[in-house]
This record gives sequence, C-alpha cells and structure tokens, in this order.
Amino acid sequence: MRLGAVTAPFELDPVIHAAARLRVTTTLAALATGDRIAFPRLQALLEMTAGNLSTHLRKLEDAGYIEITKTHQGRIPATYVALSARGRIAYQDYLAALRSLLAASMPASSVGSEASGA
Amino acid sequence: MNPISDIDSSTGPEPLTLEQTRQIIDSQRARVDAALVVDESRLYTAWGGAWLVGFLGLWATSGPDALFPSARAAAFGLFFLLLVAAMAFTAVHIARATRGLRGVSATTGRMYGWSWCVSFSALPVLIFSVERGGAPRAAIDLLWTTLPALLVGVHYMMAGAMWQDRTGFVLGGWIVLSACLAALTGPPAAYLVMSLAGGGAFLVAAGWSVTRQRAQQRGSGCVSAP
Repeated sequence: MRLGAVTAPFELDPVIHAAARLRVTTTLAALATGDRIAFPRLQALLEMTAGNLSTHLRKLEDAGYIEITKTHQGRIPATYVALSARGRIAYQDYLAALRSLLAASMPASSVGSEASGA
Repeated sequence: MNPISDIDSSTGPEPLTLEQTRQIIDSQRARVDAALVVDESRLYTAWGGAWLVGFLGLWATSGPDALFPSARAAAFGLFFLLLVAAMAFTAVHIARATRGLRGVSATTGRMYGWSWCVSFSALPVLIFSVERGGAPRAAIDLLWTTLPALLVGVHYMMAGAMWQDRTGFVLGGWIVLSACLAALTGPPAAYLVMSLAGGGAFLVAAGWSVTRQRAQQRGSGCVSAP
C-alpha cells in the first residue's frame, strides 16, 4: 500500500474538500454562531482575489452551507457572509470524517514515511 | 454529481491528500484566531503597566512622608497620560480584531463597551456630589482611587462570566479585593496597594494568558483536537 499517494476518498464532502473552500469554511467556522463577516475582511483573511472568493462562495451558497447578507452602510453596499446551520454541521461532519481517516492511516503512514526516507 | 470533477475544478489536477487537508485547516485556523481574537494578555500588560507605574508615582509624591512631594502634579499628569495611552491601545486593538464582524458577538461587545462608558461617566457625578455634601479631601481621594477599580473589577468579572474566561473573572475579583484593601489601608499607602496588588495582578494575568496561549498552540490543532 503506497500511503504517500493516499488521497481523501469520497467520504469527505466534495463541496468543502477543495483547498479554497476548505479555507473559507474553516474561517467561517471560527466565528461564533450568529456572527457574520464582511466580504473585504474575509477576503483579507484568505488572501484571495474578490472574483475567486465570489466563485467559491457561490458554490457554498448553492449547497446551502453559507448565508450571504447584502446590506447598506450609509449609501455603500456591504456584503456579509456566515456559515449556515447546515454548513456548520457539514463542516463538523467533514472534520470528524477527516479525523477518522487520519487515525486509520496513522500507523501505516509512519511506515510509509520511513520507506520514502530510505 | 461527479465529485472528482467538482474537486478538480477548484483545486487543480491533484486532489488534496489527508495531510495537506489537515495542514490547510490548522494553518488557516491559526491565522484566523491570531487576527480575530482579542489578545487579553496585551490589554492586561497595557493596563498593568499603567496602574503599576501611575499609582506608584502617586504614592511616591503623596502624604507627609512622600519621597518626592514637589512632583505631585507631575505624578497626576503621568498617571493621566498612562491611562489615556492604555485606553487608546485597548480601543485600537479591539477595533482591529473585530472590524468587519457583525452579529451576536458584535452586539454583546457593543453593549459591554457602553456599560464601561456609562458607568465611568457616572463616577465624577457621584464623587463630586459626595464632595459637595462635605466629605473631607482624604475621603474624596480614596473614592477616586477605589471606585474606578471597583468598576474595573466588576466589568472583568462580568466579561469572564459572559465569555467563559476564568482568568478575567479571577482578575476582576482580585481587583475588587485590592480596592477594598486600598480603602482599608487609607491614603497614601492605598496608592501603593493599587500599584502592586492591582497593577501587579494585571501583569500576572498577562503572563498567565501568554503561558496558556503557548500551551494551546503546542497542543494539537483543530483537526486532531477532540
């Protein structure tokens, strides 16, 4: 078994399991339930372009994992993003699946790293 | 739905390995925590330094056995400047950490901020009224020393209760005790009590918070955490 080449199987939610969306959901999950973050601050925390972030937010919104609120601060439009209740559960499930997959691969992966280092 | 094409469309040709996934989560979580969390240890250090030095200055220039009786005005000026500096540092730090955030936490924080503002605005009204009622100078000085500390202590205990922060709660309780001890001691030693027991406690709490943060960082990341 070549563990260095093990990739996450389909138990991991494909909506979350992509580098950019994983970072987005991790950031949103760090907020307390009931909190939301302005688009520019989220963009700064992720160091993503606005277009790229919007694309990934749309995918997460289509899956029902985030809620996007459009509002106004004075006359300036502002967009706020939050993980939905469904998204928070999906993220927790994703972490639980990842933990069990990591735990299952752990004894063998240490063998794998020795083999690759030899 | 084809999960493979969905993954590949946004991450490039290579799907994430489990280890890469873990690293992405842990590093992003650490980054978010560093940016969004209000670092109490810095606030405690700012206020601890201001109290320690400021009250020490008042003690050294007050009373019949003062070390530097002629520098009393300068000591008051220094204390005022230190408090303003600590206040500005606190405001900037909290504003930076919480900018762009809305919702339950922001509302709670705003109400908590107003509680500080309203109660401290009430202080001069109460103390000037007591002074107008004929209280002696020494008693007024004692009120100016201990009542703000009482408000600070109570607010820290409230914050500890609201945000489940035991360090802040214990610090608040200790500051209330320090205020009582200062009142019982009386001037000018009350200033020394507030400097060492009050300011010192802030610095101890700052050290404790840093130790705890480092222990948490050394511990497992959020993926391997239970």
